[in-house]
Amino acid sequence: MIGAAIVAALAVVAAGGALAIPRRTFAAGLWTQAAGALVLAVAGFAALWAGTSAGAEFTSELEPRFGVDGLTAFFLGTLGVVAAPSLAFSTGYLRPDARGRTVAALTAVFVVVLASVLCARDPLTFLAAWEMMTLLPAALILVAHGAGRSARKTVFTYVAITHLGGVGTWIAILLLAEAGAVGDPSAISTGSALQVAIALAALVGMGTKAGVMPLHVWLPRAHPIAPAPVSALMSGVMIKVAIYGLVRVLVEWVGVLPSWIGVLVLAIGALSAVGGVVYALFQHDLKRLLALHSIENVGIIVLGLGACLLLRERGASTWAAFALAAALLHTLNHAVFKALLFLGAGAFERAVGPLELDRLGGLLRRMPWTGGAFLVGAMAIAGLPPLNGFASEWLTLQALLHVPAYGGIPTGVAGAVALAALASTAALALFCFVKVVGLVLLGRPRRHAAETAEEAAVPMRAAVVALAVACVVLGTAPGLLFSPLVGLAPWAADTPVHVGLPLPGTGSLPTGGIALVLVALAGALVLLRGRRAAAPAPSWACGQLLEPELEWSSAGFTKPLRLVLEAVLRPQREVTVRTAGGVVQEVTYAGHVPHLIDEHLYAPTTRAALAGAAWARRLQSGRLGGYVLYLIGLVVVLLGAARLGVIG
Amino acid sequence: MSAGTAAAGAAQIAGGIVLAPLLPGLVQHWKARLQGRRGPSPLQPYRELRRLWGKSAVTLAGTTVVYRLAPAVAAAAVAVAVLLVPAAELAPEWGVGHDALALLGLLALGRFALAAASWDAANGFSLMGASRDLTISVFVEAALVLALAVAALVAGTTDLVGVVAATAGKDVWTSPALALGAVAFALVIVAETGRQPVDNPDTHLELTMIHEGPLLEYAGRDLAYLQWAAAARHWLVLVLAAQVFLPHPEGVWWQLATLPLVLVVLCAALAVTETLVAKMRILLAPRLLSAGAAVALLGIVAWLVEA
Repeated sequence: MIGAAIVAALAVVAAGGALAIPRRTFAAGLWTQAAGALVLAVAGFAALWAGTSAGAEFTSELEPRFGVDGLTAFFLGTLGVVAAPSLAFSTGYLRPDARGRTVAALTAVFVVVLASVLCARDPLTFLAAWEMMTLLPAALILVAHGAGRSARKTVFTYVAITHLGGVGTWIAILLLAEAGAVGDPSAISTGSALQVAIALAALVGMGTKAGVMPLHVWLPRAHPIAPAPVSALMSGVMIKVAIYGLVRVLVEWVGVLPSWIGVLVLAIGALSAVGGVVYALFQHDLKRLLALHSIENVGIIVLGLGACLLLRERGASTWAAFALAAALLHTLNHAVFKALLFLGAGAFERAVGPLELDRLGGLLRRMPWTGGAFLVGAMAIAGLPPLNGFASEWLTLQALLHVPAYGGIPTGVAGAVALAALASTAALALFCFVKVVGLVLLGRPRRHAAETAEEAAVPMRAAVVALAVACVVLGTAPGLLFSPLVGLAPWAADTPVHVGLPLPGTGSLPTGGIALVLVALAGALVLLRGRRAAAPAPSWACGQLLEPELEWSSAGFTKPLRLVLEAVLRPQREVTVRTAGGVVQEVTYAGHVPHLIDEHLYAPTTRAALAGAAWARRLQSGRLGGYVLYLIGLVVVLLGAARLGVIG
Repeated sequence: MSAGTAAAGAAQIAGGIVLAPLLPGLVQHWKARLQGRRGPSPLQPYRELRRLWGKSAVTLAGTTVVYRLAPAVAAAAVAVAVLLVPAAELAPEWGVGHDALALLGLLALGRFALAAASWDAANGFSLMGASRDLTISVFVEAALVLALAVAALVAGTTDLVGVVAATAGKDVWTSPALALGAVAFALVIVAETGRQPVDNPDTHLELTMIHEGPLLEYAGRDLAYLQWAAAARHWLVLVLAAQVFLPHPEGVWWQLATLPLVLVVLCAALAVTETLVAKMRILLAPRLLSAGAAVALLGIVAWLVEA
């Protein structure tokens, strides 16, 4: 039943993709795809709640098989929840020209491929679908942008890094298949070299795809230049499929891992969370900023996974299951609000053009629906009650706090440091999204296009509003999903279903109650305040006249933090003063915060690789005598080796 | 509901909502005395609230609903936090739970509302305050969460009602964990209440303000809400200090009896600190708070070693 529903949903998506190719049925095709994705969402979550599975079990044999279990169902549901509004949004966003129609058709293929990674039940299908998942966004970006130089370069970086890192996925999966451990944790003994090798390979391979630091460099380049609905799918779902892989390998298939791997996972998570949000703060382009926030949120998810591994190793099975559920819940939550923010950014881009943060402003008044939904998404990603980001960040904080509670000095200290890192990350994300909300939605319009912006078309508006509603629902009733997610842990921990999160060992988080009291109190205060107000007045600003030159910029707002973190971030600034006849004519200021990982890890590596290649090229002289010399040398070496008994 | 729970609930509401403005009033009063001035009466904050209540609010041209709702949202968030923090080891269930980590989210909501309103008003001085507040909050959150973690580990739960009960008694500070947590929390108090050396509540020089900055564009009842919220934040952190980090008696009645006394002593301590310590350079405050976080981390290590 569930299996049939999912197959039907994917068939509808594929049919929609085919329909979107002719110009006449372009919109119908996109709506068909959206309908299919909606069915996928419903079927996925229904399967999760019912706890049903369908199709084949996992096998280490190399024969194609497909199936659905709880974890797959959850990720399929997430895929549907992001894809349905993104595709509905596309009907207003994509133009029915050749480019738009190709993107629409490829999007359907992308959704089907993502679903096949999730449903694959054997190593071969998994790896094949995994590679397709990597290549399709490259095609989508090239189609959407035309093969311009910068797009080609970005796509090259993306493909190169995900493939270099992706080797780890192959190694992990093939080692698992070799050991017969795909779907069978008893095949690998705890603490063995094989187990550690698989775990590390999976961390590198799937970590690259998830965009964790320091393997993230492709992400902030590739995500912003894709069309908005594709960015939503990439940030919302594709990097989450890598999380799916990590959960399968680290939590389900390799058994209980030694604690140092758990600590390593926590360290990677903390680095990604803090690093992602810090670099996002100093970004001045909206879509790039959102892409960097994906790194932060993947970091938070990985922190939950790390807590799960450590708690499991300490034998705290209940809290290990809670930590896993926290990570999974944040996966869904991030998918929802990040899709919302990317789609919102797409709508703004259609309305006003380039998304340079300092040149927007005042869009909440011009675009109340899109802007309002975007505000909700920004508050959700900043982890504010009563929205969904708050619930899953609270859960992750609790999971991290329980790492020291279950003892062990090194693991305990790691848990405490990760706890502090997550709290700071939440504060930094708040800082960043106050900036975004202020510069994009509030204040005065900062360029003419923002003054005359028009509200987005109805389907685009409906998509972002639907996602905003999902943020509120998931924020007020996270418990409905939390219990089935706890049940996904292979060590079977059951927890009764509640609306809020009344967990043992905590003060409980009655999300519904908090939302209700908060809204009631705020409403009462608004009523008490009454409508008495003096005549409208301009901003007082301590007596200053507010002129456009005095508007605060993104760089200005984040300056205190930049100064505080100067020793770590090494920001660069350049002030040039042009004088003529002793009178200052012009002062220009340029400053930016360089990416340390790019500059100190990737740049030297690239340089060394290029230098090595240049050196190796000298071997290829093009002279015949040289090649004959190589052959003679080779023969001599081989004869010598044979003589010494090394070969033959 | 037992008599103890009812009394604790009444104390929580009366103290957090009604008596909170007295706390900053007391600090200002004593600070003036220590500096050799007569100073305002401790009731001055109430007089200001009454004055503001009668005045009309401003409507800023060109602002959105964010500016209008921000004071109500900020005050409501703090009010929910008041319901969340128990005054003693018993507390009625107000429907919002009593979880220590939920406090972080509620304080963040208030901060978001005010900072967003500053952008809406487009006032550079408000934004300056908001930007500084958010910068410092990054380090406050780390110190706060670690200090709360120390208390939660000692008590074995993050339920604040349980934490108050578990840390009661006279031999709390025999283990170094909670004492180190108390040191870290002391710095959080200074930052959260906006006092020297992190912020100066008396300043009216726009360039030096932190918490006062985002309030600049408000008047009337809006401003009254915001001033009340600032006072209620004093209540939240001082009650946590008194009933969690400082030694406090066992039994709900004793706890309620000693609470006013300890709060008065803590206000006096704040007044003395404000008199003795000058405001720090803004960029140095994060260092101080990071040191606080490090001390709290040391507290967790101490707890781990003991356990």
